[in-house]
Amino acid sequence: MELLHFVVSFVATVCFAMLFNVPRRQYVFCGFTGAVGWMCYRILITAVSVPAASLAATMALAALSRVFAVKRKAPITVFLLSGIFPLVPGAGIYNTAYAFFMDDNAMAVYHGVETLKCAVAIALGIALVLSIPYRRRAKQA
Amino acid sequence: MTSAEGSAPPARADSRQVLDLCIRTGDLLLRNGGEIFRVQETMSRIAAAFGARSFQVYVLTNGLFACVEEDGVPHSAQVRMVPLSPVNLDRVCEINELSREIAAGKHTIEEAYARLEAIERMPAMQPWLQVLASAAGSGCFGFLFGGGPYDAFVSLIAGGLAWVFVLLAGHWRLSKLLTNIAASALVAVVCLLGARMGPAFGGQIDRMIIGAIVPLLPGVPFTNGIRDYINSDYLSGTIRLIDALLIAGCIAIGVGFVLKMYSYL
Repeated sequence: MELLHFVVSFVATVCFAMLFNVPRRQYVFCGFTGAVGWMCYRILITAVSVPAASLAATMALAALSRVFAVKRKAPITVFLLSGIFPLVPGAGIYNTAYAFFMDDNAMAVYHGVETLKCAVAIALGIALVLSIPYRRRAKQA
Repeated sequence: MTSAEGSAPPARADSRQVLDLCIRTGDLLLRNGGEIFRVQETMSRIAAAFGARSFQVYVLTNGLFACVEEDGVPHSAQVRMVPLSPVNLDRVCEINELSREIAAGKHTIEEAYARLEAIERMPAMQPWLQVLASAAGSGCFGFLFGGGPYDAFVSLIAGGLAWVFVLLAGHWRLSKLLTNIAASALVAVVCLLGARMGPAFGGQIDRMIIGAIVPLLPGVPFTNGIRDYINSDYLSGTIRLIDALLIAGCIAIGVGFVLKMYSYL
């Protein structure tokens, strides 16, 4: 099951890389970045809350993006934008919208705040990893 | 004296040319998903490589301002509006490569122009391939978010149709807000039909919809907004984050409206 999830999240990320016109030679690395992010999230979610898992998964994803950006001599955007999609809280948006429109105000607020927490966690994850200064040699990437 | 007068106009034309190249590079980079910091740095690097002295540039999410000064007097300036548009990372990569080559002194300004124009003409992915990618991506996410095979299949159909609509909406010049509301409403309708048709397969409507809205999610403005914030480009970051928030709101409205209507049936 874990292997299947890895493969499917890999394929899903490559699909999004295609939508953003990522150069073909980077597909595999984009897919790998996205799959690692998703697997971190999936494994952690059994132990910790959704925002905490999002934070850790985003940090792993962003770190990997930085490594690939240097190794593959491409802007980090290429890997980060494709890889982030499995972690964007689409489920949270759906749940909030559903509760909101069904007049379940308590649940709407609950899901809304949860979604916001995920967004903040992802933002924090990206910010923490990307704020570490580049080494001189890596600056070109 | 005559030689000094004679040499002044070509020098001026030259720095104007450099400025023009910088603005066009910056425009292309910004349009296709480069973050503010990258755009500013690339433009400055190109200007420096072609010997433009005292080059000033200010970039916003949707606009560029640049000028070249000589002896403290600005003698050539450009302002350009850059509308928000779809991301094309292939172009961002190529411009990145080009700017490095220019910085290494590998190109004359004419060659740089030619390369830039070639990058500008690089085709985006074929529409049918985009639809296929959107469909396959949605199907995968339908599965990843806990749906069964049938749910993933409905997500796949809905995600593909949503992208067909997004492409058509671009063709019709529909506003971005309306496009997102209508596309997510379409996703909800398709998923409702899918769930109604296949109760024998155990359809989970929420998994289908969550999978199929992924191509519409504002992952790009969200991520780029955060990156602008990291580089202290707060104004640009705010524009992007508001863009992300509005898109998320539109998706919520589109999906929620359809589900509400369905609950009355």
